Amino acid sequence: MMADTDKALQELDDLFAVARSEPPALPDRLNAAILADAVRAQAGFQAAAPAQAPRQPLWRELIEALGGWPALGGLAAASAAGLWIGVAPPSFVPDPMALAGYEDSSTAVPYDSYDMAVVLSEDLQ
Amino acid sequence: MNAPAAEVSDDALLVLYANGDSRAAAELTARLGSRVFGVAMRVMGIRAEAEDVTQEAMLRLWKMAPEWRPGEAQVSTWLYRVAMNLCIDRKRRARGGYVDLDVVPEPPDPARSAAEALQEGARQDALQAALMQLPERQRQAVVLRHLEELSNPEIAGIMDISVEAVESLTARGKRALAAALAGRREELGYNDG
Repeated sequence: MMADTDKALQELDDLFAVARSEPPALPDRLNAAILADAVRAQAGFQAAAPAQAPRQPLWRELIEALGGWPALGGLAAASAAGLWIGVAPPSFVPDPMALAGYEDSSTAVPYDSYDMAVVLSEDLQ
Repeated sequence: MNAPAAEVSDDALLVLYANGDSRAAAELTARLGSRVFGVAMRVMGIRAEAEDVTQEAMLRLWKMAPEWRPGEAQVSTWLYRVAMNLCIDRKRRARGGYVDLDVVPEPPDPARSAAEALQEGARQDALQAALMQLPERQRQAVVLRHLEELSNPEIAGIMDISVEAVESLTARGKRALAAALAGRREELGYNDG
């Protein structure tokens, strides 16, 4: 009885050995499907990667849209110069008020016209 | 990937894959896909089921790759574990917990002579049929131990049980297989001499 058991176990070990020596090959179709899955999953990692980059604050995005810090420096200098020219225009720059047809308040035409109208009306009375 | 593929560990290949190396997937599939398929074939007993389990287990490997922390576990152990759980889930879903005794045997290898192929094919079919009669966990333990030749501690890690439990499962499984095959010795061409 013991010998029968030993023999059966030995035969079983032999069967295992044969099975191990002939492992089933991965079918070509399955191999291709696995690799296609791998490519799809990998594409997902690469698509997701930029989303994981830290987002920049809005002010930094604006500065970069304008051309970075050097461009921003130039913009600030030009803005300051423009403001100064507006407040205290140099002599060679025409007076914008004069160009627009206005003069100093002391020679305002409407005021003179009003005086003349009053004088004329008094003369008529 | 300059080093020969054989020198690169599964761990390193998985990291390469996660970093966009397209060849790493092919190498991992060649190394691990066929092993998972072999185990799934033995545990499920049906080729189509084994193919589904293999593809699903490999897909989970690909998806998990970016989170893999090298050095903490073996990729093969992780993959076997996923595959074994998928096998159990499928068996439960398909048969309400009962093991199917009518498995579709593998066709014999056409490269052998007809007589040898018939006899060896019949013996391997008998082995597979006997395996399918074992309880699910016993079958998994026997397949991992005697067909994949994994160590008991590794099987314990895969099946999430103690090493002693693995030893018990494999010993009982082997005795049950021997008993099942003993009744078919003459049919399978074994001589009593």
